[in-house]
Amino acid sequence: MEQHIAMMTDGTTRAEASVEVGPLIQPDRIHSRLYSDPAIFAREVEMLWERVWVYVGHESEIPNAGDYVRRQIATRPILVLRGRDGKVCVFHNRCRHRGNMLCHRDRGNAQVIRCPYHGWTFSSEGGLLEPTFDDAYEEGLESADFALAQVPRVDNYRGLIFASLSPTGISLDEHLGQAKMFLDLIFDRSPVGEVELSAGINKVRYRGNWKMLPENSLEGGYHGFFIHKFAFDLADSRSGRDRMDFHDDAVWYLPGGHMVEDFRPVGIKQQKTDANIAYMKQLEERYGAERAAHLAPGKAPIIFIFPNLMYVQTHFRHLQPLGVDETLVVYQPAMLKGVPEEINQTILRQHEGSFGPAGFLASDDLEILERTQNAIKTDGNPWLFLGRGIHREATFDDGTSVGHSMDENHIRGMWAHYTRIMSGDMAPANGGAA
Amino acid sequence: MSDGEDDRTRAFLYREARLMDEHRYDEWLSLWAPDCLYWIPSSQEQSESDRTASIVFDRRQRLEDRIARLKSGEVLALDPRPAMRRVLSNIEIAEASDSNVTTLSNFVLVYARYDEQIIWCGQSTHTLNRVGDAFQIAKKKVVLVNCEHAMPSLQFLI
Repeated sequence: MEQHIAMMTDGTTRAEASVEVGPLIQPDRIHSRLYSDPAIFAREVEMLWERVWVYVGHESEIPNAGDYVRRQIATRPILVLRGRDGKVCVFHNRCRHRGNMLCHRDRGNAQVIRCPYHGWTFSSEGGLLEPTFDDAYEEGLESADFALAQVPRVDNYRGLIFASLSPTGISLDEHLGQAKMFLDLIFDRSPVGEVELSAGINKVRYRGNWKMLPENSLEGGYHGFFIHKFAFDLADSRSGRDRMDFHDDAVWYLPGGHMVEDFRPVGIKQQKTDANIAYMKQLEERYGAERAAHLAPGKAPIIFIFPNLMYVQTHFRHLQPLGVDETLVVYQPAMLKGVPEEINQTILRQHEGSFGPAGFLASDDLEILERTQNAIKTDGNPWLFLGRGIHREATFDDGTSVGHSMDENHIRGMWAHYTRIMSGDMAPANGGAA
Repeated sequence: MSDGEDDRTRAFLYREARLMDEHRYDEWLSLWAPDCLYWIPSSQEQSESDRTASIVFDRRQRLEDRIARLKSGEVLALDPRPAMRRVLSNIEIAEASDSNVTTLSNFVLVYARYDEQIIWCGQSTHTLNRVGDAFQIAKKKVVLVNCEHAMPSLQFLI
């Protein structure tokens, strides 16, 4: 490692520097090159984004045959499309003929996909229907030879659609592992167990590395004292609660790179509105009193599913790196199916008040990330410290760890997982105690 | 509507624009009716009753909270504070009755911070209540040209 650091400070060009990330990730600190080095980003695309399970959309965005959303896996344009058979396929969004982008709108419906360039058509299952003026091909064209290229693995968990560009690897079930239990706490807030991402989209872009956002989103209890002070004070004064009560929460690292801020241990007083009372009754009838208490408003965990999906308070949020220092973030409020309408209206208003470009919370985070991205251009001391709670971190045999509110065990766990992924180890955990 | 009233309506909109440019938050808030809606939709065609997340959907209490926050000195996007000037144009009186006036107007806003200049643009629809010879804003809808696109922080008045 000493040799490695010397290499970067003695005038060697970045292009010559190693993209081996191992030495850049220490138990209690990481090197800021992980956020700023284009060579590391290129390596991430190859080792991480093109291999792991990546969130690409939710079933409720494409309810009908032919519905699609246009997304990217890192820098690659893809199309998430529901075929006539109801099955969701993920295609590379380029025509098999001359490579033109097939669907260029963010979302839509295409019973038949027609390439705008030369009019070739494809079925919603990806097969070539008709190359235009095909008498020019002496033998004709075999439909199978020109089917749209599919992303090889697609799977979903409770409507969350994930895709992997790698034809082999661990299953989605293995990748999500224990995170499923926390995702269940999101979906089960609906008495029919379903959410819908049907209430619009906010998109923001920040000039910072993609990995900063999940770290930031999962340590809001700490930085909130400083950069969200106004919003926190306002929420506390309205609810009459003590901010420190909120710090009974626990933070989890879960094998697979996932992080959770768990509010189940926190006592939250519910407002006794008619809608809230009716809603809690629904939950108790469906799940029983004990579980219903964990599903009550304000209890939802903050979750990061490695590498690009988050659930925060009101919404699912996914990120898409546009380069080493630029990231697109998409916020979609999660509407609960089968609840009194007032419950969803409250989620919507809370969402607008906190997130999106004019919200009271998220803009401060993005400003901080941009300032950090600028500051790390200097490398006087290039290390970023992540040592909170390391002395009291409890790690279990399966690699899970749990810490107190404001500890950083989950972030350290995420970086350890990142190190393994970048070295080509695709297993969700390190195969035993850390 | 008399010509004099037409002038008064324009003067009201120009003054509102200047107060926003100059971060004069309390004076801006004083232009609003007690029961009001400040609305910035997240799509061009969104209607007020849609179950859709907007960029801003402020009733009176949220609007007061927004102003308190902008004034608090704790908004990072206002430190340093951006310099702003906007041009208001294409003002039309869409409707006028004894109780209120609805106007359409376009704006182009130039915003400078950290050695960078950004342009924001959109159409505002003001519903103004008549209060004697004066107006109060009952509703203001701002449809941004880029409302459906990724955008930077919007931590100022528009």
